[in-house]
Amino acid sequence: MASQEISKSMYTVTSAPLWHCGKTLQKTMLHTLLALLPAAAMAVYRFGYDAVEVMAWAGLAAVITEAAVQKLMDQAPTSDDFSALVDGLLFAFLLPATAPWWMVIVGAALTIILGRMVFGGYGGSPVCAPAVGWAVLSISWPDFMDLNGMLLNWDLVEPLSELKYFGTAAIADIKPVSLLLGENLGALGASQGLMILIGGLYLLGRGQLRWFIPVSFLVGVFLTALLYNLIDPQLYASPVFHLLSGSTLMAAFFLMPYSSSSPVWRVPMLIYGLLGGALMIIIRTYGVYPDGAPFAVLLLNLCTPLIDLIQPKPFGGR
Amino acid sequence: MASLVQEFTKGLWKEIPPFRLVLGLCPTLAVSNTANNGLGMGAAVIFVLALSNVIISLVRNIIPKKVRIACFIAIAASLVVAVEMLMQAFAYPLYEQLGIFVPLIVVNCIILGRAEAFAGKNPPLASLADGLGMGIGFTISLTFLGAIRESFGSGTLFGVPLFGPDFHPFTFMVQAPGAFVCLGLILAGMNFLNVWQAKRKGVDLDPNFDAGCSGCGACKMMDKIAAQQKLERPEPSKG
Repeated sequence: MASQEISKSMYTVTSAPLWHCGKTLQKTMLHTLLALLPAAAMAVYRFGYDAVEVMAWAGLAAVITEAAVQKLMDQAPTSDDFSALVDGLLFAFLLPATAPWWMVIVGAALTIILGRMVFGGYGGSPVCAPAVGWAVLSISWPDFMDLNGMLLNWDLVEPLSELKYFGTAAIADIKPVSLLLGENLGALGASQGLMILIGGLYLLGRGQLRWFIPVSFLVGVFLTALLYNLIDPQLYASPVFHLLSGSTLMAAFFLMPYSSSSPVWRVPMLIYGLLGGALMIIIRTYGVYPDGAPFAVLLLNLCTPLIDLIQPKPFGGR
Repeated sequence: MASLVQEFTKGLWKEIPPFRLVLGLCPTLAVSNTANNGLGMGAAVIFVLALSNVIISLVRNIIPKKVRIACFIAIAASLVVAVEMLMQAFAYPLYEQLGIFVPLIVVNCIILGRAEAFAGKNPPLASLADGLGMGIGFTISLTFLGAIRESFGSGTLFGVPLFGPDFHPFTFMVQAPGAFVCLGLILAGMNFLNVWQAKRKGVDLDPNFDAGCSGCGACKMMDKIAAQQKLERPEPSKG
């Protein structure tokens, strides 16, 4: 919309040779969907029909909300670029698998409205949309977002709330491998560590995602957790546990590098990732909520314009 | 007389605080978690605003220009103390609910804003009309915002349950972030209506008014409707 008008007036496209590289938002989003597929499949394998239901409601509500709001705002409909579907699915990945259908619909609609459309649409949003939906729901219905409480039918426990309420002794038996394979309770897709990792590496390999944010985020998490762990190993969990539990990997590969709300240059990206990782551990350690990843993402999103002030100096510039 | 009515009614829609006149946001965001609180706060503001406007207007020629703000605050503060004592005497539960925000009316931007912008320059009767209009407008806004937030956030309206027992309150709305989001959406809605109205009357928009055109389809929608009406009712051919 506005950006198109600006580009029309500011940049004159001169004569050939010009060649479109073939990169479209639609293709990017389709590849992101492909990257999310393994985790979705694993979630269905672990949680069964409930997971399918939550993902379907979230995707459907997100796409329909986007179309409806775009109709209201008189924008051209963009349902065919799948960005709403990706946002809906990412949002579903953060929920417990047995979330009630009305909560999923409300959350997905708010993801699109408050996370994207009030700022003018995809690409205009200063915050990570799925994290907004998650945050609103966590504040509103903590009981329905409580992973342990919602997944009572399973014998397993949620590692992060165990750590929060029962200390490090409660999680001593949990092996890193089982965390990686998602053999503990957790959010629908975010807890399938290995599959999220595969998806993230696929995007990295395609060059769609640059390594700066995910790697610096994970390094930030590791270093901060290590610091706490060195202070008192009895009180604070090991860094490897923090790296693999909850939605750390999900935040590293999908939420932190959310395209419109993360910095663009190398140094800012590294700062952004490191701060995000440190903040996540701090929220996990002192916060009310067991998993602080989406909150850390949101807070860092708000810092993005500031961090983005660090810019490369043009040649000859002062 | 006509001008008095105009001074009164401008506070009800044209310059309704805090939606048009974005002043006094602190109490707006803090106490609008229920419709009752909004109404109570609004009543207190009506009382203070109308009286402070009259008093300031009466003494406007006596006060030296350099110390006027201090004088405005002294006048508003005495009135607020009166309101606080009246509330303690006759509406203690409401007083407990509003807490610190009753004394804070002293520094409410609307009181100072109207004193500075209107009462300091106009005669007492017009100032009274202005203060009453602004105060009632503020009450309407706060009650409206409070009603929206309360009905979604607690499932009640003025304390009466709205939905069945199966309703899970959308707690986000009665908490601080809900206040900001709600206020923002209402402001957006007001801007939309503004553009819509101006278009329908065929008036040009205020050049200072930034409607954020990229996110709003009001103009285009109106044009479409106008084009349609033209199609349906072709202009009578002459001759």
